[in-house]
Amino acid sequence: MDHLLEVRNLTTQFKMDNATVHAVDGVSYHVDAGEIISVVGESGCGKSASQLSILQLIPTPPGKIVGGQVFFDGADLLQFKSDSEPMRAVRGGKIGMIFQEPMTSLNPVLTIGRQIVESLMLHLKMDAGTARARAIELLQVIGIPDAEQRIDHYPHQFSGGMRQRAMIAMAVCCNPKLLIADEATTALDVTTQAQLLELLREMVHRLNMALVIVTHNLGIVARYAQRIYVMYAGRIVESGTAKEIFGDPRHPYTVGLLKSVPRLDEPKGAQLVPIPGLPPSLTQATTACAFYPRCARRVDACQRDAFPSLTQINGQHYVACHLPVTQPSVTASPVVMPTSENKRAVSDETLLNVQQLKMYFPVTKGLLRRKVADLKAVDDISFAIQRGETLGLVGESGCGKTTVGRCLLRLYRPVSGEIHFEGRDIALLSKSQVRSIRHKMQLIFQDPYSSLDPRQSAGDIVGEPLKVHRLVKSKGAYRDRVAELFQMVGLDPNLADRVPHEFSGGQRQRIGIARALATNPSFIVCDEPISALDVSIQAQIVNLLDELQDRLGLTYLFIGHDLSVVRHISDRVAVMYLGRIVEMTDCESLYANPLHPYTRALLSAVPIPDPFVEEKRGQVILLKGEVPSLLNPPTGCNFHQRCPIATAECRQAVPPLRDAGANHHVACFHWGGL
Amino acid sequence: MSTTIIPSAPQTSTAFGDLQTPHTKSWQRFLRVFLGRKVVIFGAVIIAILIFVALTADWITPYDPYQQNLRESLKPPSSAHWLGTDALGRDTLSRIIYGTRTSLAVGVNSVGLAALIGMTLGLLAGYLGGWISTLIMRCVDALMAIPPLMLALAIGAALGGGLNNVIISLGISLIPTYVRLMRGQVLAVKQSDYIKASEIIGSSDLRTMLAHVLPNCLSPLIVLITLNLGVAIIAEAGLSFVGLGITPPGAAWGSMVNDGYRYLLSNPILSFAPGFCVMLVVLAFNLVGDGLRDALDPRLRGTL
Repeated sequence: MDHLLEVRNLTTQFKMDNATVHAVDGVSYHVDAGEIISVVGESGCGKSASQLSILQLIPTPPGKIVGGQVFFDGADLLQFKSDSEPMRAVRGGKIGMIFQEPMTSLNPVLTIGRQIVESLMLHLKMDAGTARARAIELLQVIGIPDAEQRIDHYPHQFSGGMRQRAMIAMAVCCNPKLLIADEATTALDVTTQAQLLELLREMVHRLNMALVIVTHNLGIVARYAQRIYVMYAGRIVESGTAKEIFGDPRHPYTVGLLKSVPRLDEPKGAQLVPIPGLPPSLTQATTACAFYPRCARRVDACQRDAFPSLTQINGQHYVACHLPVTQPSVTASPVVMPTSENKRAVSDETLLNVQQLKMYFPVTKGLLRRKVADLKAVDDISFAIQRGETLGLVGESGCGKTTVGRCLLRLYRPVSGEIHFEGRDIALLSKSQVRSIRHKMQLIFQDPYSSLDPRQSAGDIVGEPLKVHRLVKSKGAYRDRVAELFQMVGLDPNLADRVPHEFSGGQRQRIGIARALATNPSFIVCDEPISALDVSIQAQIVNLLDELQDRLGLTYLFIGHDLSVVRHISDRVAVMYLGRIVEMTDCESLYANPLHPYTRALLSAVPIPDPFVEEKRGQVILLKGEVPSLLNPPTGCNFHQRCPIATAECRQAVPPLRDAGANHHVACFHWGGL
Repeated sequence: MSTTIIPSAPQTSTAFGDLQTPHTKSWQRFLRVFLGRKVVIFGAVIIAILIFVALTADWITPYDPYQQNLRESLKPPSSAHWLGTDALGRDTLSRIIYGTRTSLAVGVNSVGLAALIGMTLGLLAGYLGGWISTLIMRCVDALMAIPPLMLALAIGAALGGGLNNVIISLGISLIPTYVRLMRGQVLAVKQSDYIKASEIIGSSDLRTMLAHVLPNCLSPLIVLITLNLGVAIIAEAGLSFVGLGITPPGAAWGSMVNDGYRYLLSNPILSFAPGFCVMLVVLAFNLVGDGLRDALDPRLRGTL
């Protein structure tokens, strides 16, 4: 066998009570030693199921590998039983796997060291002493400081990024020939993600391993993968080298995916083109093309004929589509709308003016809840938002961006500071006073699953604010208004008496948006409203938010960690780090000319979904270490420990947010360079 | 060029749901799920029969349940006495039929009382937190330190015997579990974003508590209620045993099990027959409770 791993016609099904889920439907691919390939697709398209099938980690029942062959190192793995000796030698020994959730994939009651040592002793038959020495060495390689001490720590004493590093150490400890990273960096911040992926890439080169990156993030794919398999509805619809796929995408689904993600390097004002509709449920075995209902270029044959087989276009580029192979693809990037120049007019009126906002959470200890410290989640923040404007607020998890949003909405009562909303200071209003301004400011939540009461119907959810604020006079008016709100967010009013459970993630988010709009608010805080959604659905929601802003003259505070999305939707952007704003300016100049070293590192860590651009970008700026704890923040500039240009001055004084000209504010002593 | 393939009007046309399940009105679904399972119907029928028996006891009993006939004492089942007679020659079947009244009244009322008070306190403790929570929970801890039957005995001793006092004392002794379970549920549900959402749209605390927190906490409480019915019916026997429950010659299943205990080897039916009735009630309420929980759970839509 000339490939390290060759999968042929793999088919996995899950037998449910009343249906069979065709999770993996005749998937074939291969990996060579020293190669990085990527399997891309949205959730539920079978990309994880196909990887788990290779290792026979599919829960059986209900799952069952129905057919196919998996040649690894010359032997067909599927001839072995799942719990047989050779299969166990492969898992963890020859093939390592890293999962998405570092929280749940490590055993919380065993030390990190025990878990690595266990694997070494089992697969490499090492004795306890050698295994421990090797484990320490591994942790050092993987970039865990003080490995000798840290090896005896428990998983909860590690941060998320550290845990994922420990997972990598466990996966590579037995020198596997193949490493599978299943959404391994999805739950992490961009800077940590960049650190880990660089680490993996370096290890692949040094150890001549093969790496399979399973992800939905097209940027990661473009930056790291040599070859790409695009999956949709349990099948591979397109495969080829990264440059073939991104430079000349042929399958309408691939084209659709590329058009629906905003890019950092695109000119501002580009309009995203979402893929309409929803991914299919895999319970019906379709013989025709599964993408047909959502396809922009469908022809009658697509529905009539059998599922198209993968056809070679040139070189390694294959596509499964009825469209003629010779037909060139169209540009696969978001479309620039010429009208977007004179988009919405941001008025001169200041809607919201925040001055020296501070939000501390007391840290208590002991039976009597004695206050021992303050957790300074938001530490002296000032900014203003004009009516009709969108201010983006970016930062990594734990930097306080959500807390800022909740302070503005007065879900929290800030410790001190002023929040002038429509000319009135609401920072310290009492609970009942706040209730009277609630209808003016609303929130769109991140998680569309937990933000809707599962026992209320969609109509009741949307209509509740109307009842609470007595905004409608009669039952008829109530029904009309609810229907109007449904239509406004692109939902069929006939679905009003269904419960949230019956809707998809994107539709639930629309219900959440409709609820926020019910009281005609002037200001809406969008707290990561799309990060829980699939790529093709994200674009639908982003466009909806854009359209609603134009139509209703809304003002947004858009909180996010995805810099490309924030850039796409915002007029101005504020970057937060450890409770402070480090840089704030309009969108264009932030991305073209970032002044703060943290902003630069953040931007550099975001991969751009285009291998041609990625090639030219050069080295990623990797930050040292981890985000410090808010309980014990560094003195002086919060960022100085990780900053490449920090000086003695940075360690002593907190740099104020200063005007660097042209409305560009930055909190750094050295923004002009050293 | 590129504009030719943009799907037209993506915003309004795309999101119209192609929901997979056909829609039914919520009460239609409730009935369909609730009555869709044979065991649930079985449970409901048993409860209906028991209620019927309890209401018509005066007319359907073959003998007077209090009429003693020492010459006929401890008779085995016969055509005259289907379930035999007890030590005082009273007809067991008639006593069971009358006992249905007392036992159902004790079970339903004491559990209802405990659930009502316990859930209210648990809701307040969980939702409001702070010193209110501390106060309520420490009182509950104090109640829990005493074994439930001892507690019921103590309260019963203070109040005296009789049906109403049995209900009150049993009810109070059952409160702690409800408070604790409810508070735990509330604390979990309170974390959900939809509770934040309710605050954001300007709902009052009362509205949030009753409209959003309470309905989402009920599932495990329904199970607890159905289990507790049997506990209460049996506990009544314990109270009666020490003379604080149903005073003789009143008939109740629990005290009948207790009275028959002395003749367990010679006339086992004296204990078994009322014991079987208790089992039947618990089983029936359990089945109906499960059906109710699933029928009321919107998250199971589509699967049920």
